[in-house]
Amino acid sequence: MNVVVLMLLAVPLAAAVVTIWLPSHAAGAVTAAAGIASFGLVLALIPAVSHRDIDVLGFIRVDALSVVFLLATGFLYACVAVYSIGYLRSGGEAGARDRGYARLFWAGLNFFAWSMLIAPAMGNLALLWIAIEVTTIVSALLVAIEGTDGAAEAAWKYVLLASAGLAIALLGTIFIYYAGAHVLGQSYNLAFAPLLGVAAKLPPTVVRLAFVLAVLGFGTKVGLFPVHTWLPDAHSEAPTPVSALLSGSLLAVSFYAILRFYQVASAALGSGFPRDVLLVFGVASLLLAALYLLDQQDYKRLLAYSSVEHMGILAIGVSFGAPIALAGVLLHVLAHAAAKGNAFMGAGVLVRKFGTKRILSVSGGLDLLPWSGPMFLAAILALSAMPPFGIFRSEFEIVTGGLAASHNAVAAVLVVLVTVAFFGMSVAANRMLLTPRREPAADRGEPSVWMVVPVVAGLAALLVLGLHPPGELVGLLDRAVNALRGTA
Amino acid sequence: MLPIPVVQVLQVVTIVGAAPAVAGVIARVEARLQGRRGPRLLQPYYDLAKLFRKEALAPEGASWVFLAAPVAAFTCYLTVPLLIPVLTTFPLPLGYMGDILGGGFILSLAGFLVAVAALETGSPYAQLGASRAKTFAAITEPVVLFVVFTVALLTGTDLPYALAATVRSSAGQIIRPAHVLAAAALFMVILYETGRIPVETHSGTNEFGMIEEARPFEHSGPYFALLKWGSAVKQLILYTILLNVFVAPWGLAATHQLGAVVVAMIALPAKACVLGALVAVIDNSFAKLRLFKITEFAAAAFLLAVLGVFTLYLGGG
Amino acid sequence: MLPAHAPGVYTGAANVIAVLILLAEFGMFRQALLRDQVRLYAAQSALIAVLAVLVGAVRHLPELYVLAAVTVALKAVAIPLLLRRLLRETDPDYLLDTGHDIAGSGGLGLASTVLIGIVVAAFGFFSAGVLPVSGGGAPATALSVSLSVVLVAFVLMIHRRDVASQAIGLFSLENGISLAALVVAASLPLILEVALLFDLLLAVVVFGLLIRLHHGRADTLSTADLTSLRG
Repeated sequence: MNVVVLMLLAVPLAAAVVTIWLPSHAAGAVTAAAGIASFGLVLALIPAVSHRDIDVLGFIRVDALSVVFLLATGFLYACVAVYSIGYLRSGGEAGARDRGYARLFWAGLNFFAWSMLIAPAMGNLALLWIAIEVTTIVSALLVAIEGTDGAAEAAWKYVLLASAGLAIALLGTIFIYYAGAHVLGQSYNLAFAPLLGVAAKLPPTVVRLAFVLAVLGFGTKVGLFPVHTWLPDAHSEAPTPVSALLSGSLLAVSFYAILRFYQVASAALGSGFPRDVLLVFGVASLLLAALYLLDQQDYKRLLAYSSVEHMGILAIGVSFGAPIALAGVLLHVLAHAAAKGNAFMGAGVLVRKFGTKRILSVSGGLDLLPWSGPMFLAAILALSAMPPFGIFRSEFEIVTGGLAASHNAVAAVLVVLVTVAFFGMSVAANRMLLTPRREPAADRGEPSVWMVVPVVAGLAALLVLGLHPPGELVGLLDRAVNALRGTA
Repeated sequence: MLPIPVVQVLQVVTIVGAAPAVAGVIARVEARLQGRRGPRLLQPYYDLAKLFRKEALAPEGASWVFLAAPVAAFTCYLTVPLLIPVLTTFPLPLGYMGDILGGGFILSLAGFLVAVAALETGSPYAQLGASRAKTFAAITEPVVLFVVFTVALLTGTDLPYALAATVRSSAGQIIRPAHVLAAAALFMVILYETGRIPVETHSGTNEFGMIEEARPFEHSGPYFALLKWGSAVKQLILYTILLNVFVAPWGLAATHQLGAVVVAMIALPAKACVLGALVAVIDNSFAKLRLFKITEFAAAAFLLAVLGVFTLYLGGG
Repeated sequence: MLPAHAPGVYTGAANVIAVLILLAEFGMFRQALLRDQVRLYAAQSALIAVLAVLVGAVRHLPELYVLAAVTVALKAVAIPLLLRRLLRETDPDYLLDTGHDIAGSGGLGLASTVLIGIVVAAFGFFSAGVLPVSGGGAPATALSVSLSVVLVAFVLMIHRRDVASQAIGLFSLENGISLAALVVAASLPLILEVALLFDLLLAVVVFGLLIRLHHGRADTLSTADLTSLRG
């Protein structure tokens, strides 16, 4: 198992280094292979971590909670890698760009995926912070790769806000170190497991402050209100495969960091305070996203606000605290990764087909795109928690948990706001996909088969998660939920 | 052993008598730094003597305030040396008449009277200087207040004597941030109040930049002499506060032996001359700030003073 | 009120250095030339190194000497060099000193922003007072100062309207956090501290790339037209 973990961390890095020198086709093949291999390696880890945590080399630690997030990232890495082959090829004259763009794209994609894979595997809060900082700077370069005015603006806003937020998170990490050093001695190295062990003895005021700073700081990268303002810009201006990874994985990995702090804080302070903090941020994010979704002109921005919405739902779910709500949260991470990935991949097909990101300029999607059209519609429905997709199951579990924990008002608010969001997204989807084509059509057909296959895979994953999650996965989620609740 | 009342009188006499000398030394140092020979060291005394012999004129329409203001201001300047540690380390009886806050008030009162007299004259330059002085005073007065608060927080009283004793007591007191910040803020206020670079050019009358220099524009003769002397005395008073309370509270008489008092009487002007030389160096090193940037200067002094109070009150510094 | 008791030479000196760091932060409000802001940042980083040496000497933490050396090498030398080179490239008249590298300023005048900075710094001082800090590092007042530095750096970033000043504001914010680390985490293992510093270097490189990109498109460092993405 140690070998599996090390390979998981090494393969994307190797791919990243190798693709710097390869031409686009070969780079694409290497990336796809790396993605699929990584996903396979993560799947191989599932049975092992359902029983115990894996510690490698002292600073790498993989437990059930990590594997949930590794699963989300691995799956999207594989899908996006395959998808990008089609995306770059179908770019037409823009796709036949200088080799420089393609090289940067593939290398950047691999580095980005690598950074998102190492973050959940770090067993040390300082290294976790460094890993998330690395994801920020790599993804900022990827957001800017298109080189347009919008991309430059979005990348600058993103890197400035995200770095400022991570600086706050660093302050929170330092305070957690201070709390830990009180009990574990001055040469404590921010290792997570010992900290959790002595959590009950940590000084409460310091932990409280550290937790708030961590939520605010890492929450900047998660996209929680009020520090989400970079998110719509960055996710809409990045190249679409990168947007899929940003929305599907990066937000989740940053939320993983918050969850680690939540583990420590609820062990040290009892679960009241941490839950209240997350509740406030969650409800605010959900409310803001739902309202903004009602009036969007750009469909990638639409999907970005949907990500804010779902991150809010995650925070609310954690704040409910009931075991079934936590299970719903973790399932939601997986299902959202699949669904958001699908949605962005479908959006990318729309971009390639219609050449614009404006909702009003796109029409007749179902007619012109026999595969991607319906699948994009399915993805939008999935994001709005339609059965039988995975998000329905996860949100159902979250709401059930809320009712079980007597948070009836919040659960009701959640359902209402999710409905509002659905309304906003469905109006856009309707306009883009269901209205008949006004101008004489481009020809009917998919831009590239490479862009269809990953979406089919994503759809299959959503159906599996929604209808009948496999036994090992349920076991994994149970163990992760126990870790979060502090009952090992 | 000198009787206490004599020491009190000597305090006033030292300040009032040495003030023109200090002004002369500063002028001489400044000139030397500029490569000139400079005026005689005692030139200010000769100037005052000359002015006292001259005729006094008043503008038409000026009332008794115009003539009373210089006298009243000078009286204020005579009062303040009684309140601050000039010669002695122990408080003299009249020193309890007012604390450092009172001293600050009396100095402001003097400035106010001069400004009112200037406004009375109807002359544009005088009014200009008066209004500018009072506008900027709106920012510099709070700085003085915050410096006073620092003193109060540091010693538990606001008697300047007490702070001087505290500062003398240990090296830790000198290097603590509150003390350093308060001293720096007070120094910046002194630059403003005495009309030196970077606030105002001390020599010459540039109407674009005049603040302090413009206020005595319309006075003449003995009244002008009183105003000039008054500004020199104000300068020495402020230097004394900075030196004997914050920066260098040494050389003061611990008893009222004649010898100790005499040493103190010499030490004070000597220290003031050193500080004055520093001011002259600053004069020749920096450029005058444009008028609207003086608010930045005052804001910087305010920042230093406020930070001093913060580090002390909230941070134990 | 009882007289405030003297803190001792080490505490006083350390606190003075911390306050100087805060004053450097305020000083960035005033500096209009980007070149001077970079210098101020270098001075601030050097002060952090001096404080690290002081704490290391008095508290017997030899690792802090190494940290001070790395801080000087990276934050007082390397990063300012990178920034100066960036400014030189984005401003064709840099050598002619025609002042093209004047920082874009925000809506408020200097005195008003200093006042806002004071209010914000007060908040930082108050909030740090709640914490029970008894560390083996720098004295507790420095923690209050560090929180104030962080908050004032935020005000600086919000107020400035050009990308280079915003970036320098962010780096000085990180300086504030280093100061906080000196107070509460003085014995954080050296490897982690060095990793953090190299991470900062990487971030600076990326910032530089993005600033060049922005300048390449807009031919200015101002952020005045970064308003196209809204809603």
